[in-house]
Amino acid sequence: MTPGKPVLSYSYYPGCSLHASAKEYDESTRELFRVLKIGLKEVPDWFCCGATPAHNVDELLSLALCAKNLVLAEQVEGDMAVACASCFSRLKTAQHRLGEDEEKRRQVEYAIDGTFDKSKPVKHLLEILAKDFGLEQLAAAAKKPLAGLKVACYYGCLLTRPPEVPELDCVEAPTIMERVIAAVGAEPVNWSHRLECCGANFTLSRPGVVIKLSGDILASAREAGADCVMVACPLCHGNLDIRQQEIEEATGRRFAMPIFYMTQLLGLAAGVPATRLGLDSMIVDPLPLLKKKNLF
Amino acid sequence: MSRIGVFVCHCGENISRTVDVERVAEAARGLFGVAYATDYKYMCSDPGQSLLKKAVVEHNLDGVVVAACSPRMHEKTFRKAVQATGLNPYLCEMANIREHCSWVHEDREEATAKAIAIVTMLVERVKRNKKLAPIAVPVTKRALVIGGGIAGIQAALDIADCGHQVVLVEREPSIGGHMAQLSETFPTLDCSQCIMTPKMVDVANHPNITLHTYAEIEQVEGYIGNFSVKIRKKARSVDMAKCTGCGVCMTKCPQKKIPNSFDRHLGTRPAIYVPFPQAVPNTPVIDREHCTWFQSGKCGVCAKVCGPGAIDYAQEDEFIVEPVGAIVVATGFKLYDISEKPKGSAIKGYGEFGHGKIPDVIDGLTFERLASASGPTGGKILRPSDGKEPKAVVFVQCVGSRAREKGISYCSKICCMYTAKHTMLYKHKVHDGQAYVFFMDARTPGKGYDEFWRRSIEVEEAVYIRGMVSRLYQKGDKVVVMGSDISVGIQVEIEADLVVLATAVQPREGADLLAQKLGISYDQYHFYSEAHAKLRPVECATAGIYLAGACQGPKDIPDTVSQASAAAAKVMTLFAKEQLEREPIVATVNERFCVGCLACKKVCPYGAVEEKEIRDRQGNLLKVVAWVNPGVCGGCGTCQATCPSKSVELDGYTDEQIMAQIEAL
Amino acid sequence: MKNSKMTLSAETMNLDFVRKVEKLSGSSVLRCFQCGKCSAGCPMRSFMEHPPNRIVRLLQLGQYERVLAGRSIWYCASCETCTARCPNKVDLAAIMDALRKCSWDAKGASKESLVQLANKIFLDNILAYGRQYEMRLAAVFNLQSGKLLKDFMLGPKLMSKGKLKMFHQKNKNIKEIERIFRRIEELREKGEAP
Repeated sequence: MTPGKPVLSYSYYPGCSLHASAKEYDESTRELFRVLKIGLKEVPDWFCCGATPAHNVDELLSLALCAKNLVLAEQVEGDMAVACASCFSRLKTAQHRLGEDEEKRRQVEYAIDGTFDKSKPVKHLLEILAKDFGLEQLAAAAKKPLAGLKVACYYGCLLTRPPEVPELDCVEAPTIMERVIAAVGAEPVNWSHRLECCGANFTLSRPGVVIKLSGDILASAREAGADCVMVACPLCHGNLDIRQQEIEEATGRRFAMPIFYMTQLLGLAAGVPATRLGLDSMIVDPLPLLKKKNLF
Repeated sequence: MSRIGVFVCHCGENISRTVDVERVAEAARGLFGVAYATDYKYMCSDPGQSLLKKAVVEHNLDGVVVAACSPRMHEKTFRKAVQATGLNPYLCEMANIREHCSWVHEDREEATAKAIAIVTMLVERVKRNKKLAPIAVPVTKRALVIGGGIAGIQAALDIADCGHQVVLVEREPSIGGHMAQLSETFPTLDCSQCIMTPKMVDVANHPNITLHTYAEIEQVEGYIGNFSVKIRKKARSVDMAKCTGCGVCMTKCPQKKIPNSFDRHLGTRPAIYVPFPQAVPNTPVIDREHCTWFQSGKCGVCAKVCGPGAIDYAQEDEFIVEPVGAIVVATGFKLYDISEKPKGSAIKGYGEFGHGKIPDVIDGLTFERLASASGPTGGKILRPSDGKEPKAVVFVQCVGSRAREKGISYCSKICCMYTAKHTMLYKHKVHDGQAYVFFMDARTPGKGYDEFWRRSIEVEEAVYIRGMVSRLYQKGDKVVVMGSDISVGIQVEIEADLVVLATAVQPREGADLLAQKLGISYDQYHFYSEAHAKLRPVECATAGIYLAGACQGPKDIPDTVSQASAAAAKVMTLFAKEQLEREPIVATVNERFCVGCLACKKVCPYGAVEEKEIRDRQGNLLKVVAWVNPGVCGGCGTCQATCPSKSVELDGYTDEQIMAQIEAL
Repeated sequence: MKNSKMTLSAETMNLDFVRKVEKLSGSSVLRCFQCGKCSAGCPMRSFMEHPPNRIVRLLQLGQYERVLAGRSIWYCASCETCTARCPNKVDLAAIMDALRKCSWDAKGASKESLVQLANKIFLDNILAYGRQYEMRLAAVFNLQSGKLLKDFMLGPKLMSKGKLKMFHQKNKNIKEIERIFRRIEELREKGEAP
């Protein structure tokens, strides 16, 4: 960090998945931020944002849960740092809707028994790394550049949405992930399914949907010559990684495509010891690829 | 001996790709009478024209053949260049070796041979060309406007405001046309009569406008700048000079049950009437077909009550002749009639929509009268059958239009917008009513138009259903509409209280007959044809006649007004000249040989041939011969081909020239 | 039902329902002019009986039974592709939320009960623990859906990777979540919230 520049520090909202199925996302995020000397303090006693199931049937509940978390986040200094694309989309939506709709805001404030303040910026980790920390700094921090690694950056559907708050990047043609991973020396590939839906929360109720949609995504990444897929969302990760074997069985195609969280790849580049990035938690083993590329 | 120059153009590669232009020039050099020949990349370019001018002077040429494109393209260009050297421009001809040769052939040898042949022919022709001079034609600076709707009114006012005399002829007893019948107008919903009547009054008061209402064109003679128009002023049975427009005759007329055609037969009117209260002129006419006096010789009430004694039962049709220099045709449109049509007609009715026999199935213009504050219901939407307020109204677009089977393949252009307007007017007047619209496409290209249509859906909550209606039938006091929403693929049925059909726009009846009187062309639907669809959209192919409004094709008010002003501008351009110059390619009669059979007169499509008496000094008639009016002659040569005594010749295309061309081959 | 004839009249077109959906979603329904872009890009289109544009169209015609009866609204993945690309600013994703809420509130039986079941367990979890516990979510779902062996092979794998926690605790401030649920209920009972 340049002397005199204020140290970056954030109020961290990991979201439910990062404490369970996406624990490697949480681990790698904390390690990466530690190495980059970016402060990250978890919001105490945060709640589930309600995710898709809440807004699907009860918008008011969804807004109230998000508003509650936004209030809780006030306890920690700094902008709110969100890891999960779904949480991020929900929190941004709530902030936007409550700022626009006086009636809904009154109902929500009664429900949470508090005052909703929309002033706290909500940022996805990508935005923090690319914009607040900066691509040049990121490049400078890359002690072990990911040279030769062809990465398919997968945004999924929610990262750049809702469209009325497109603060992260262009809604339809974002490049933020590509810019971030290129900054640490990897080679982003140009591919077709960057923004297609993976099937999201149908993973529980209708896995057939996930197998079809995520299968298409993996096939597209493979055709574009990617070595691996990089994600910034635990739901996407779950569908592409955990269900990959099922997809292979259903489609008869062998992918063996490692699905990295972006913090894992950035962590590798920044010199975080591989053992502390949760690589062993991945279902599709990334070690053969990393060894082949001399990154492990 | 002639000294002719031949200039062979490459036209970039258009000609030289297929024709060996150098060999053509070389062959030309060997022709008898050719003093100079060359080829050049672009003859029409500035350097090309300079080359031509220089050669004419240096080689002392007395004729020029430019072997290039069609004379339609560049004849004027090269004749001008030739004229600049002091040579008579009519001594320059074009040999078309592009459209007639390089573009239609592939074999280079054959194409080159053909190009040489074409050039050879033209050389022979130019040798025999006469020095001609353009014909000067005087211009009568008075315009005739046919039709007193918004198109005719606008054109008449524009020409009159420019200081020229205008004669405006309207068939109906009042000017105003269809626009006077409309309630409100899209896309701004301003009241039609409110914006229309001031213009009608302007026409009546304008010192430069002579208005003939209840009048029709009987006969048109003459040509650009010099028309003579015979007008029939139908007998009004009311002396316009005496009538004060008090209206007592109309109130006292005992015959009051005549269907009012201005109100689309929704209301009635007396036998002596003005079509609507704001009529211009405000002078009634007697409808002789329905008047008791004219039918049985009894009654005479109007004559008794008329203070100024203006009623004149003995009045007869009057014929007047107006000399004019230009004619604007603005005869407007009518709506397609869904009733059964005679066999053999290209236009078929709509049996599936009840052939016009279901009382609560009306057309768009009838709905306008229902919605109009001055209409038969005072602006209340009440259906014809029982006078009840309809709570469910179904509008059907494209009835007749875009239906090849019905004889009409075109889009009527105005229906999408007026139907959207109708849904709004209806919703404004019947708050608890629901409007439904069956449509195939919404065609709303115009400033503020699509926004207007969307407003009818999003604000006035008209339910638009994409799909054509299959059938309408009466069920109790409802009209059942059988349709389908093709965006969801589900059949739809609506029991309507009133159905409004947006029927196709067609030219006025008799449009073809008027066209024949005027000598202008029309299309298969009887819409008048413009000279060029893009570049001459308001001019007829017949010089001096211009088009305005829906007589040329379906048009809304903004487009009609624009076109009317454009036609007026064309008339004013014509009137800006004291006299016209026209091409001297006209026929002349050799009076010595003419036997006066007048076969030429019978075949002349322009009516240019007249009879001429030849007398001796004492005034004794020697013989009658044909005489071609050079102002009218179109230069087609039909007379020349017809004349049994070979005494008519078309200048520039004489028999001698044609024979020489053929012999040169 | 799906293809049977629609008889349109003031009585058969439930435009109040349309207004309710417009209010709930904050999006216009009437603005849609059926360009079909939503259906063109919908990743779930092949799983739906009514594509998204048809749902909006049926809504415009007040045919809410047809919309709610189908399973289409439950097959929406909430990816918001439709909303993001709509040329007319019709927020179809929010309209879908509103429709699901209407269906949920009316307890209308949907053929797609598995999605609703998963939804319900998810929300129950929030009320009970404050956060989501995937192990519990999956276990209860399998139990209640009768698909005991679903993802049978996946469980141990995830467990061995430490991705499923067997034990979980309630948030310390769980009372606050309970209050949120309670107060929303209260607002609804008083008719002060939808």
